[in-house]
Amino acid sequence: MVEIAVPVRTVYNQWTQFKSFPRFMTVVKRVDQVRPTITRWVIGFGPVRREFEAEILEQQPDSHLIWRSLGRGPSHQGGVWFRPTMSGTTTVTVRIRIAARGRARLVPRPAGVTSRVLGRELRHFKEFIEGLGQEGGAWRGEIRDGRVLQAEPDPPRCRVPTWPVG
Amino acid sequence: MHKRPDDEPKDPLHVTPPRRWAAGVPAVVHALTYSLEQTSPRRAGVTLLTMNQVGGIDCPGCAWADPAPGHRHRNEYCENGAKHINDEATTRRVTADFFRRHPVSDLARRSDLWLNQQGRLTAPMVKREGRDHYEPIGWDDAFELLSRELTSLGSPDEAVFYTSGRASNEAAFVLQLFARAFGTNNLPDCSNMCHESSGYALHETLGTGKGTVRLHDLHQSDLIFLVGQNPGSNHPRQLSALEQAKRRGARIVAVNPLPEAGLLRFKNPQEVNGVIGRGIPIADRFLHIRLGGDLALFQGLNRLLLEAEDARPGDVLDQDFIRANTSGFEEFARHVRAVSWDDVTAATGLTRTEIERVRDDVLRSERVIVCWAMGLTQHRHAVPTIREIVNFLMLRGNLGRAGAGACPVRGHSNVQGDRTMGIWEQMPDSFLDALQREFGFDPPRAHGLDSVNAIRAMREGRVKLFLSLAGNFVRAAPDSAVTEEAMRGCRLTAHISTKLNRSHTVCGGTALILPTLGRTERDVQAGGEQFVTVENSMSEVHTSRGRLEPASPLLLSEVAILCRLACRTLDDRTPDGRAPDGQAFDGSAGIPWREFEADYGAIRDRISRVVPGLHDFNRRVARPGGISLPNPVNEGVFPTAQGKALFTRNAGPAPHVPEGHLLLQTMRSHDQWNTVPYTADDRYRGIRGSRKVVLVNPADLRELGLSGGQRVDLVSVWTDDVERRAGGFEVVPYPTARGCAAAYYPETNVLVPLDSVAEFSNQPASKEIVVRLERLGG
Repeated sequence: MVEIAVPVRTVYNQWTQFKSFPRFMTVVKRVDQVRPTITRWVIGFGPVRREFEAEILEQQPDSHLIWRSLGRGPSHQGGVWFRPTMSGTTTVTVRIRIAARGRARLVPRPAGVTSRVLGRELRHFKEFIEGLGQEGGAWRGEIRDGRVLQAEPDPPRCRVPTWPVG
Repeated sequence: MHKRPDDEPKDPLHVTPPRRWAAGVPAVVHALTYSLEQTSPRRAGVTLLTMNQVGGIDCPGCAWADPAPGHRHRNEYCENGAKHINDEATTRRVTADFFRRHPVSDLARRSDLWLNQQGRLTAPMVKREGRDHYEPIGWDDAFELLSRELTSLGSPDEAVFYTSGRASNEAAFVLQLFARAFGTNNLPDCSNMCHESSGYALHETLGTGKGTVRLHDLHQSDLIFLVGQNPGSNHPRQLSALEQAKRRGARIVAVNPLPEAGLLRFKNPQEVNGVIGRGIPIADRFLHIRLGGDLALFQGLNRLLLEAEDARPGDVLDQDFIRANTSGFEEFARHVRAVSWDDVTAATGLTRTEIERVRDDVLRSERVIVCWAMGLTQHRHAVPTIREIVNFLMLRGNLGRAGAGACPVRGHSNVQGDRTMGIWEQMPDSFLDALQREFGFDPPRAHGLDSVNAIRAMREGRVKLFLSLAGNFVRAAPDSAVTEEAMRGCRLTAHISTKLNRSHTVCGGTALILPTLGRTERDVQAGGEQFVTVENSMSEVHTSRGRLEPASPLLLSEVAILCRLACRTLDDRTPDGRAPDGQAFDGSAGIPWREFEADYGAIRDRISRVVPGLHDFNRRVARPGGISLPNPVNEGVFPTAQGKALFTRNAGPAPHVPEGHLLLQTMRSHDQWNTVPYTADDRYRGIRGSRKVVLVNPADLRELGLSGGQRVDLVSVWTDDVERRAGGFEVVPYPTARGCAAAYYPETNVLVPLDSVAEFSNQPASKEIVVRLERLGG
């Protein structure tokens, strides 16, 4: 958990800008947003790279996100919670549960490494958004059960050709 | 490399049992054999190793999506894609001398296979009124001739501009711009004949005409339906995605009148298990459905799901999704509950137990995808069928979530992109308004002609000029005799083509062949080397850059041909040839055709301001993987008039087949690309040496008093009194569904009545032909 000296709306909005994560998180090398519920992540240490897709299962503006990884290899489920404090700052809590699959089960995973990395990256996020003071963008949609709830008005991303395709 | 054939192949028919698996080592061998028959090892290497790679050549074959950059194989193509690309990269050439030796009347007697095997067209040719030979013509004279004919028409609507799904986005955009600046919306395309029913049904129910599924969804799905689709031959790379899904535990239900090899088992030639092992089974459940029974199947399934919800309220249907995102549920539910099981089993040829087992699969699956192709769309009640599939998906909330959705699998590499670019006879006002804002002319608003209506108009003399951007319209269209008569009635027919096909031999009074660069070839213009863009079946827009030297120095690109024609034609329509500000007039209303020809980036700049979702097109499409166009359904938006997805009540009686008749579907062979057969073989179905075969269930053959090897004429039955006959076919006993038969397209298009079309979408019903088999020779 970290406490960030920025209002919850700003912190949350910045968190929704997944593509910006490589700017402040050292293990995150690249993020592509496939659609609101699906992101593709490349993470790594040194020359090692791992790519996975994540599906956001629940997302509530200024409150929380719950996601799960997709694909083969080690899988994880995670959540991030945003809580405003009385003093106008925001606490951000991240929890991740890793379940190794397949051959990854055989690789020993030193206890605490994940939480140490996570803590460090959260501090990077804190420095980033506190330094900027305002978010670089926002997605204020809501996701429930892996599906975007109907948005009003239509988000700009939906302005695409919708005429029939033969 | 083999020389081109002088004579038609005359091997006897040889039939072996159909194969139970697809791909494997034989696919690699056949792909390489055909490639090396057509071209040199070096050229084959260039095409194959750059095919479907980032910055390489997009396969001109099917529209299946590529894996994300970084996840592609070194050999990211299938047997049919390899054949297709090297069919284009062939070193065989059709020259002026060829046309001196072969009059049009001779070419018109040749088979599709023979015509294609002659090689690449190399120079513009003209067949003049009253002559029987094509003769060389300079490009300038060709444009002059075509432009003169266009401008002398009584109305712009007397011209038709047809597009095949091979055309790039840039060429398609330029063509529709030219047609509309000229003054017509007569823009039929091959979509009218393949997935028009899908686009209509999806647009009506979900508010968007494209599929909602991406490649990663297939990998995440629990249950995948393959309905009326033959991935082993028509989209072989889909098998790799299905293999991945299976390895993650997905189940697959295949629904087809033919037990196609690719539906049964896949041997991936890039995996050890596919080379020396048994591969992986594809379908966990195969429903041997009667032709046209799919609507009844999904209605039966939907009824079972509603009844399961009755038994376990709250457990079966996704009530939250239905409440929040849909309308019309109650009316739909009442309608489906009244569907009779007798009707369902009669229409499908399946038992209720078989359908109940599928229901159980559905209930065990959190995420379901339905894939379909022309086995669904080419029926008279295709639109209701696809609407019923949408109903099915919505019942359990299988839309807008990862691993779920609707997946129409399109068959030609840029058929979806061409429509995105405005190749449609009914483009909405929003698009036409954007065109008007961008180019300053008022596009015609009246709807134009689709493929079927274009044939009607040509036949009735209302259309006098037919221009085709790629394709083989005469062979792709239904009712071959009617279509050919219609084409011959035109004053002028012109084809922008890479290779010879029958459409060049069924000429209007005057006919032009305008030879063009293939997608494999370097495209160098005044502004430097160009690339083009295409959109795959999963709405991903990316680049394609040719690598080979052009087949002839005389070839022009599709964009160049269209821009030069536009310049000539539209200039001619201005009295003084000058724009109002005194500048030299460069096309209609200031459209910079010459700039477009010199630099396709200038076209993409305009596209970015006209086509929604393609803003900043040039920059974004250059990134590895290109642009992924969002689907509103996956963003929680249903852009229908009500703002919600629509449940629909659907009806469509099973086709009436009189006693002694069969229901025939047209189909492609494994060794065929659309209208072009590469050989007379169909390896997976065990047919070799001849394409004039009709596949019939052995039990039906017994009832009809026929046996394998007998020769028959196929005669179709329709409401008019016209006899449509395909003569001299050999009967092959085959495990197709009872009461059904299958024969190859385009040879049996002659049997498809022009008026036998899908309701609403006007798509020819090529999978629903009532035929009788007339025995030949006693």
